[in-house]
Amino acid sequence: MPARGKMKKTFMAPLGKDNPVFAQILGICSTLAVTNKLENTVIMSMGVLFTTSLSGLTISLIRKLIPARVRMMVETLIIASFVIIVDIFLRAYVPDVWKQLGPYVGLIITNCIIMGRAEAFALNNPPGLSLVDGISSGLGYSYVLIVIAFFRELLGTGEVWGITILGDWWTNWSIMIMPPGAFFMLAIFVWIVKGVLIKETEEAVK
Amino acid sequence: MKKDSVFATRIYPIIFMVLVTVVFISGVSGIYLSTKERVLLNESIFQKMAVLYAAGIDYPEGQPQEIQAVYEARVKEVGDIDGEPAYFEVELPSGEPGYVVYTTGAGLWGKIVAAFGFEQDLNTITGVEFVEQNETPGLGARITEEWFKQQFRGKKGPFVLVEEGTADEANELDAITGATRTSDAVLKIANNVFEVAEAKVKGGN
Repeated sequence: MPARGKMKKTFMAPLGKDNPVFAQILGICSTLAVTNKLENTVIMSMGVLFTTSLSGLTISLIRKLIPARVRMMVETLIIASFVIIVDIFLRAYVPDVWKQLGPYVGLIITNCIIMGRAEAFALNNPPGLSLVDGISSGLGYSYVLIVIAFFRELLGTGEVWGITILGDWWTNWSIMIMPPGAFFMLAIFVWIVKGVLIKETEEAVK
Repeated sequence: MKKDSVFATRIYPIIFMVLVTVVFISGVSGIYLSTKERVLLNESIFQKMAVLYAAGIDYPEGQPQEIQAVYEARVKEVGDIDGEPAYFEVELPSGEPGYVVYTTGAGLWGKIVAAFGFEQDLNTITGVEFVEQNETPGLGARITEEWFKQQFRGKKGPFVLVEEGTADEANELDAITGATRTSDAVLKIANNVFEVAEAKVKGGN
């Protein structure tokens, strides 16, 4: 087992300064596409979390057997398998949500975060650590999306999770639930977070 | 095993890839097969609910067997177009016979498939269910909300669109504010459906 400190560091990095979305700017396609309704976002996040953690674990388990020349094929195959499992599961047990998410579940396969973590981490680290890395990368992605979705749905429809929050006095900002709204929200989010983080780093240097 | 032997560089990767593929595809196939029945049931219940909803017949939500029973008692599938029924003969809540037909039209982003229910005159609409649509969530996708679908009940075409919340005549439909293109698309589909229904029901099987 790796030292606890390393475990903790691996877990914390993707939640903060190495966040896949706002620090590495990965997974932007789905960040823009599925954040106009909180419910869809949460389901999508769970799908990504499931895939990042299990594909990280699996790839790490067989990492010493994978020949270098075919490693990307193997990674893609493993990731795709887990994504299809998510798709089948949603289809069988929550068909309404599956219909709404449509092609986006399948597109988890192309989410750069998952492939990125497999290449950069799971191939070189033991299974336990890779699982932790997968989980925290998934969580790091999820919370950013959920925050963005919360504000987009609230400002765009006056509702959160389909429940009306803002009363009749509120005029819906339709642009928030359309694609441009995602760009605005993501940019504002990155701006705020980076502003805070960069300040901390500068202070640390002093 | 030498690192650059033919086996290590050429053959092993192929064997490895084949093995990994077999293992993972078997796993996925197994899961697919074990949920297949459930998926098919979901699909068929979904279709049945759409027909019942369009006909204005109440059904217990979330109880597949009950829905099945109501459907069998009230709906008769007629004809066959590529394995799907051409139209549905239904017993309306009033006891009168009615019809349900499926129709397809272009939405803003993709196609819209809807089930329309009619009274015997093929002009008075008993209800509408949107079965498939890819409109903008929160804007055009509001066509699937109850208030939008309910407004069709008892109305007669051809329709005109009026501002959201102001429809009161039998031929007026509430448009959706902020989703003009989707509203127009639905209007077109709704005005077209009379011809579609006429052709399917009278054109026979």
